[in-house]
Amino acid sequence: MLKFIPYVFKSLWRHRARTLLTVSGTAVALLVFCFIGAVQQGMLALTSGDDAGRTLIVFQENRFCPQSSRLPQDYESTIAKLPGVQEVVPVKVFTNNCRASLDAIVFQGLPPEKLKAWRDIDLQSGNWSAFSDQDDAALVGIDVATRRGLSVGDKFTIGDVSVVVQGVFKSPSAAENNLIFTQLEFLQRARGANDVGTVTMLEVHLNDTADPEALAKQIDQAFHAGPVGTTTRTKGMFQADTLADLAELIGFVHWLGYACVGLVLSLVATTTVMSVQDRIKEHAVLQTLGLRPLRVFGLVLTESLLLSTIGGILGVAGSVLLLSSTGMSIAAEGVTIAFEPSLPLAMQGVVVSVVVGLLAGLAPGWHASRTEIVSALRHA
Amino acid sequence: MPLIEVIDVSKEYANGEETIRPLDGVSLSIEEGDYVSLMGASGSGKSTLLNLIAGIDQATAGKIIVAGTDITRLSRGKLADWRAANIGYVFQTHNLIPVLTAYENVELPLLLLPMSASERRKRVAIAMEAVDLTSRAKHYPRQMSGGQEQRVGIARAIVSNPTVVVADEPTGSLDDETTEQILQLLSRVNEELDMTLLMVTHDADAGERARRRIRLERGRLMENGKELQTAKLHTA
Ligand SMILES: Nc1ncnc2c1ncn2[C@@H]1O[C@H](COP(=O)(O)OP(=O)(O)OP(=O)(O)O)[C@@H](O)[C@H]1O
Ligand SMILES: [Mg+2]
Repeated sequence: MLKFIPYVFKSLWRHRARTLLTVSGTAVALLVFCFIGAVQQGMLALTSGDDAGRTLIVFQENRFCPQSSRLPQDYESTIAKLPGVQEVVPVKVFTNNCRASLDAIVFQGLPPEKLKAWRDIDLQSGNWSAFSDQDDAALVGIDVATRRGLSVGDKFTIGDVSVVVQGVFKSPSAAENNLIFTQLEFLQRARGANDVGTVTMLEVHLNDTADPEALAKQIDQAFHAGPVGTTTRTKGMFQADTLADLAELIGFVHWLGYACVGLVLSLVATTTVMSVQDRIKEHAVLQTLGLRPLRVFGLVLTESLLLSTIGGILGVAGSVLLLSSTGMSIAAEGVTIAFEPSLPLAMQGVVVSVVVGLLAGLAPGWHASRTEIVSALRHA
Repeated sequence: MPLIEVIDVSKEYANGEETIRPLDGVSLSIEEGDYVSLMGASGSGKSTLLNLIAGIDQATAGKIIVAGTDITRLSRGKLADWRAANIGYVFQTHNLIPVLTAYENVELPLLLLPMSASERRKRVAIAMEAVDLTSRAKHYPRQMSGGQEQRVGIARAIVSNPTVVVADEPTGSLDDETTEQILQLLSRVNEELDMTLLMVTHDADAGERARRRIRLERGRLMENGKELQTAKLHTA
């Protein structure tokens, strides 16, 4: 059967315009498919990450935009005393855009030593001491740095916040690569005296035995009567709640992914049907020479498989290139979803194109193999 | 024992209410190495009989035994294998594969047989030589004349050294001069390569070239004015 592969390629090449159109259509559809997959994956990573269930986020009650949540910083020490709490990290969040945006800049201010302890970041350039020694220093996530063309030493201003880049970092969590870290006090002072002594949220790291649900209730209970009420959720829940609107949209976009697969199926099937109809007589001649009907079926299947798989591989490669070179993300209310390429996603894309190629070839292949030789030979 | 035995073969086509029966219990034996021409009016069933012997059509009734194999009992897949090993088919319009060169077209039937690449090369070279087209090996069908294409078609039919070569009006779409060339070539295939040849033709002159001349008239086979009968001796 392998001996017939050159024949299959030559047949595809004979109608190169049709072949190229089909392959490029398939490539575009798979690029979109992978892109949608990456968005979903980014969303999933936020709500199901390692620390999503073991870290609590304390936010001001009924507030969503980080700008409007103001917790007294001394809540930190109260919470730290609760049993089961390992450490409390105060975080000040500042974003230039609270609504869903593809180019939102999100600042997080943390005490430097806690930043170092609780965030898994790896400096690609710059150094820690320069960051902790300098008031308005910032560590910039690699994706923001790429998008905005930032490197160590650059001054960078958004609204009334001005920072000097003292490091570019990379984190295994894609969403973090879209953040800018500063010192906590700097962000507290940056936007007027109003914010001094308040934080946006408290990140509560639990030890292994604590029950997150119970502790969250306990925290909210403790501040129920206090000056500012709190809402405490696991990090995963917090991010899912914050991104609820986007999640709905992404859930819908998911259907577009299936639509892409349907599109490829009909595109490749149409081309294969056309190619079979063009060659009714040719297939009859091959059968007269002694090609088994099953092999004719195989030839047609190979043809549609090649069309779909070549297109699929190109589309997947394109999406990987696009996603890794642009470091795209979408942010809402200070929470970022990063779109990242991944091996499982790329493999899923290739598998989808292979399966679609096989499906698309089934009916035309069956048809070609069942055609009666004598009547097909009479075919003009 | 004859190489080909057609025994009481009928072929019917249901055409709405009426049934067309181009072959009505015909019988025919062909000896190995013979050259037989089959003539008859248009629509008399010549192609139908040839296609049945070539194993690309199914008889409504009767048996066809070629070199000891009853091909009417083979499954579609087995029949395809049988054709690959036993039949060389020369079409009226050559029917070469347009995306393949002359060489590749001739090589095609060999790809279906268990054969080493070097053996294939040798056989294709011999077949191309036999039709005197060695210099055109790399040409595509569209780069050749009708006569050259038909010669490639003949090379493709003989390359696997088949049990029988069948030709359905092989000169039907060629001019006189080229027709003569092709007929000479077919005679050589029979005489020099010792291949059994069955040729359907319209052209009385072409039919004269064959050693045996058979006519198909109203569903019956005639030779020298007499109807051919079932060769009971052979089938007993
Ligand atoms: N698929 C079919 N359905 C119905 N009738 C058919 C079919 N194929 C062939 N026939 C009929 O069978 C008869 C014999 O056809 P065949 O092609 O064998 O004739 P032929 O002798 O080769 O004619 P020609 O010299 O024109 O090629 C014709 O009457 C034809 O119309
Ligand atoms: Mg005919």
